Amino acid sequence: MNTSLKIISKIIDILGNLCSLLMLLMIANVFYDVIMRYFFNDVSIGMQELEWHLFAAMFMFGIAYTLKEDAHVRVDIFYDVMSAKKKAVINIFGSVALALPITLLILYYGYDYALEAYSMGEGSGDPGGLPHRWIVRSVIPLASCFLVLAILHVILSNIQILRGIPTLGVHNKYKNQGEL
Amino acid sequence: MTGLVLFVVALFCLFLGYSVAFTFAGVSLIVGVAVLGVDLFAFMPYRIMSIMKNTILMAVPMFIFMGIVLQKTGLAERLLESSAKLFGGISGGVAISTIIVGTLLAASTGVVGASVVAMGVISLPVMLKNNYHQPTAAGVICASGTLGQIIPPSIILIILGDVMGVPVGDLFQAAVIPGMLLVIFYTLYILVLGQIKPDLMPPIEVTESKRELMVQALKDIVPPLVLILVVLGSIFSGVATPTESSAIGAVGAIMLSMFYGTFSLSKLHEISKETVKVTSMVFAVLIGATAFAMVFSYSGSEYIIEDFFLDMSGGKWTFIIIAMLAILLLGFFIDFIEIAFLVVPILLPVAIALDINLVWFAILISMNLQTSFLTPPFGFSLFYLKGVAPKWMKTTTIYKGVIPFVIMQIIVLLLILSFPEHLIM
Amino acid sequence: DNDKKYRWRLAETWGPNFPIFGDASKNMARMVKEMSNGRFTIRIDSANKHKAALGIFDFVKSGQYQMGHSASYYWKGKDFNAQFFTTIPFGMIASERHAWFYYGGGMELMKKVYDQYGIMSFPGGNTGNQMGGWFQKEINSVEDFKGLKIRIPGFAGEVLAKLGAKPINIPSGELYTALERNTIDAVEWVGPSLDLRMGFHKIAPYYYTGWHEPGAELQFMVNQKAYDSLPKDLQAILTVAMKAAAYDMYAQSMHVSGENLASLKKDYPDIKMRSFPKSVMNAIKQTNDDLLNEFATKDPVTAEILKSLNDYKNQIRAWTDLSEKAYLDNFDE
Ligand code: NA
Ligand code: NA
Repeated sequence: MNTSLKIISKIIDILGNLCSLLMLLMIANVFYDVIMRYFFNDVSIGMQELEWHLFAAMFMFGIAYTLKEDAHVRVDIFYDVMSAKKKAVINIFGSVALALPITLLILYYGYDYALEAYSMGEGSGDPGGLPHRWIVRSVIPLASCFLVLAILHVILSNIQILRGIPTLGVHNKYKNQGEL
Repeated sequence: MTGLVLFVVALFCLFLGYSVAFTFAGVSLIVGVAVLGVDLFAFMPYRIMSIMKNTILMAVPMFIFMGIVLQKTGLAERLLESSAKLFGGISGGVAISTIIVGTLLAASTGVVGASVVAMGVISLPVMLKNNYHQPTAAGVICASGTLGQIIPPSIILIILGDVMGVPVGDLFQAAVIPGMLLVIFYTLYILVLGQIKPDLMPPIEVTESKRELMVQALKDIVPPLVLILVVLGSIFSGVATPTESSAIGAVGAIMLSMFYGTFSLSKLHEISKETVKVTSMVFAVLIGATAFAMVFSYSGSEYIIEDFFLDMSGGKWTFIIIAMLAILLLGFFIDFIEIAFLVVPILLPVAIALDINLVWFAILISMNLQTSFLTPPFGFSLFYLKGVAPKWMKTTTIYKGVIPFVIMQIIVLLLILSFPEHLIM
Repeated sequence: DNDKKYRWRLAETWGPNFPIFGDASKNMARMVKEMSNGRFTIRIDSANKHKAALGIFDFVKSGQYQMGHSASYYWKGKDFNAQFFTTIPFGMIASERHAWFYYGGGMELMKKVYDQYGIMSFPGGNTGNQMGGWFQKEINSVEDFKGLKIRIPGFAGEVLAKLGAKPINIPSGELYTALERNTIDAVEWVGPSLDLRMGFHKIAPYYYTGWHEPGAELQFMVNQKAYDSLPKDLQAILTVAMKAAAYDMYAQSMHVSGENLASLKKDYPDIKMRSFPKSVMNAIKQTNDDLLNEFATKDPVTAEILKSLNDYKNQIRAWTDLSEKAYLDNFDE
């Protein structure tokens, strides 16, 4: 079990690095567009659209990474004072009953949604806009796949906690949060 | 009825401590499938896409990035401490600096998530380091970080302008005085509290001479201030739109840290990973909330609200008071965007029929919605701050801290109600 | 089964309480309910509810909604030919376009394009002639378009881009600020009927007349399967209601434009109403024709639609010139 945890963890860490890169690219993209418009009076709708493509991919993929890092916000009035095992139960229950079903459903409908754009060859309706809308639409099902992986990671690592086995990337332990 | 079930189940799961975003989404799925069937969720990709291509929201990660750069490179801490020292080392100096920086951020963006998180990252550690009363520190940050909602440019005003058919420019103009009133109230509150209970907000120790202080202040305050002015200036001079100005702020922050010699590639990597985490946390909550709102709205809960208002008899003031109370109550539970979209369209025809000044009415609503960001249990600002606060800071601490600020907002709301012609011009 | 009740849902691109456009769908639904004596009701979901202003096509295609109210040119990215059913630059004015739709083969061509998606498309209300936009500076020659940053979507943007303008996307919530602070130089919106609520008249001195969207027609969409499942009488009621609501919207657009223009002239007498100079207009028209010719080589259906639009315009314009135009010319000084 620890091996599979490690593998999943590794995959999602790579995803996290990809998101960081997307984020820096987005900032560079927006900054570039501002400079080009103001100083060179040059505007490209394609570049403008690329901004939100990067933005969307960054935060959508980032949701899985954030889950693995246990950085999704909680209301911890009672959670805080619970034992590690109780916390593990809540995390397993939440993952199975709340997070997993909706993620799978979004994956299912998101796949159709992306396929639709692909089969129609949908692109931007604006002059110079980006073609191939299906690529950015595919972010929805793809991000859902990664999220399923991250949810599995949460479930497995919390099962380990219940069994009293120490794991890497343990859940319900906020690492460095707030000290950022 | 469905709406009520939705709220109760969600509240229960939230208080168990499971993540806010997945609780919203998961509970919506269970209740939604039970009441409306699974097909409803075929809308989810569309709703997610509408968040993905909302370019105004793009400012969120970039302002968060700017905040984390300032924090990680130590520039923010210096800014806050030096400016607190400049206040003569009075009690509450850092809190007042927080309000000032919050106001400046508010005037440069209308994105609350970004401001709260940036302020939480920048000034919470400084206040905690100086032994501030935790609830007060949290309250000041949430309240100052939420100012962006009323101080133009503001997303709430843009949405209300669209929903109510009132020119956004008029709303921006009308919101200036109410926004400044809030800032004044917050500042006075901190000043007075600092005098009465200095232990809550100890002054920063000032050992340096006046001259040293001035030199130090110049070194520490001017550059970040320049950054904020560049952000604001790029908007006001027309170089960039408010959203784009956040990219200028982000690039500027990196350049500043280079200038101060605190930049490194490994730091940049760390900073961008943190930004991704905080941003994804914020947007996951937004996606969860959109599922929640979808079930709420398609289950017909909004028609119950509609009937309530249409059946209501009475004059202008009865309507306004009940409308304000209803929005305030709903604000405890649902997101401001949903209120603007679900409730305001219902109120609008009644308001027009009663010959109510729509600009004034819009400002009342936005002041009220501003409060909804701070009201427990579902206040978004509270979630956002919780997301970046140290692990040991409890949700209840934040809940406690915002109460005085919620009261001040209600007072300002009452003032606008009572003196429309003086406060809205 | 004459007692069977039909409950449909319509998704529209507009937000709640959106004037004129939103009134058209409401009118249609009201008429359907009254004419069917309550057997057939249509509930309208505005953009606030479904959250996908430009998802209407998908909704109707998949049957999630039986009906939609939107504009055909929004689907240009999905089917290139969809755009021509709303309007084209230098195309027909509203009265001519209506003649084309109902008697000149327009409906048949629209059917040809939309059939493959299982969608029926109908005229959904005309805005009348749209204005060319709010400008911060005067346009005296084609040179003035060089580097002009203008928010103008779609085909018209493409035409201006060929003349050196820089079409740009700004979220509608930021348009006012962007125009006020000269981040952009011009904004094309609709016309007096809907521009005033955006507030552009407070910050831009020039209001130019239009060329790009003469008689833009909105669109009702109906899912084919849903339509087929209706009894004959309700099908007829629906068709009549859509046609009546569309016509009513045209009348309302004219009415509100007239009213708003009067108040604009009264309250903001300094706004300069301009038309582009002849030389500019000729350049735009030439570019437009070239682009359309280029389109026609892409796809036989595009060629067929453009030929139909062009032939019909040339034929009917002679009559418009001899009737309306000649009549209006009588009032010239
Ligand atoms: Na603001
Ligand atoms: Na709230």
